[in-house]
Amino acid sequence: MTVRAMRERLPVLAVCLVLLAAGAAVWGGWSWYAAAHDGAADLARSRDRALAAGEQAVQNLNTLDHAALAPGLDLWEQSTTGDLHSQLVQGRAEFEKQVKQAQSVTTARVLDGAVTELDQAAGQAAVLIAVRITVRTGQEQPVTKDSRMLGRLTRTGEGWKLSALGQAPMGTTASTAPSAGQ
Amino acid sequence: MSTTTRHLINRQRRLAAARPVAAPAPVARTPRPSRPRRRRWPAALLVLAVLLGAFATWSAVAAADLRADAGQHNTALSDPAATSEVKGRITEAVNALFSFTHADPGRTDQAAQRLLTGRAVEQHRTLLAQVRAQAAAKKLVLTTIVTDAAVSALDGDRARLLIFADQRNTSTADGAKEAPSYSAAMFAVDAVRTGGTWRIENIDTYGR
Repeated sequence: MTVRAMRERLPVLAVCLVLLAAGAAVWGGWSWYAAAHDGAADLARSRDRALAAGEQAVQNLNTLDHAALAPGLDLWEQSTTGDLHSQLVQGRAEFEKQVKQAQSVTTARVLDGAVTELDQAAGQAAVLIAVRITVRTGQEQPVTKDSRMLGRLTRTGEGWKLSALGQAPMGTTASTAPSAGQ
Repeated sequence: MSTTTRHLINRQRRLAAARPVAAPAPVARTPRPSRPRRRRWPAALLVLAVLLGAFATWSAVAAADLRADAGQHNTALSDPAATSEVKGRITEAVNALFSFTHADPGRTDQAAQRLLTGRAVEQHRTLLAQVRAQAAAKKLVLTTIVTDAAVSALDGDRARLLIFADQRNTSTADGAKEAPSYSAAMFAVDAVRTGGTWRIENIDTYGR
């Protein structure tokens, strides 16, 4: 009696299981598709990649040892693209001369960084990077200074690279301080 | 021929035609051929259920991996409205908190009460201590303007921002003819939103 009852219920059970599994499969598939095509998640990934590349590039461009100029400057060129890259390539010979003369060793540590703009379609990003730079010249006491960097990044076939870099200008907005400070 | 006879003949024909089909039917419906049929299709359905279940599990895991990889917990920039809001609020907060005038020290205190929480209260006091100490004698006016700000992390009611600011320190005491001194500041703040208001709870000056 029970075996027969089970046999009669088996088809119903199987249909129920299939419906349940089909429901789960539809949900899983949709969830997977949504995750893979989620614009916000995609943007978050690009943001993190751009920032990592920007921080590394700023660190590279603020690191140079007069005793190992060629590899250091090669790394500068590898970290950059566009106008900044051309400037570095053009100024390389002159710069090598200066650093050799100064006998300086420059090291940098990125303290913090954040992306301010990100245009995925155009492959452009802007970053703020706080960096601490230490310069040792000959036997003199090392000099440490903090630098506020504004960088622009361009996406290339080899990932994000710096296309512009400069220090945040100081004092330019301070003249309008009283009204803006209210 | 009358219609009645025709009916009878037709009836006999129908019965004759129906009988061979109706009669052997119970014989043909022996349990043997139908049983394997009944057994096989539930089995096929169970296999299908297992396959669908496996796909559901796999896709759910793949989706979770993708989401974890995407840094879903950081919506800086990927949620433009929230990013821009916290950036605006914290910019205003920093401008107010680090601007000080000897003529009205209460204004900075009010800003501190409104916009600071936790550790930041003490950090702010320490950072402004020097200015406060000299304020009355030198008639100091400190003005802070955030020149650049960026949200490095945003997760619901918590955020971290990198701030670049210019500070102008002016002495307006009689006889003080010094030009205002400018300084560049960079620091990070951790902010938390409570009751709809973003407050600074930590100021990181990178060990300076």
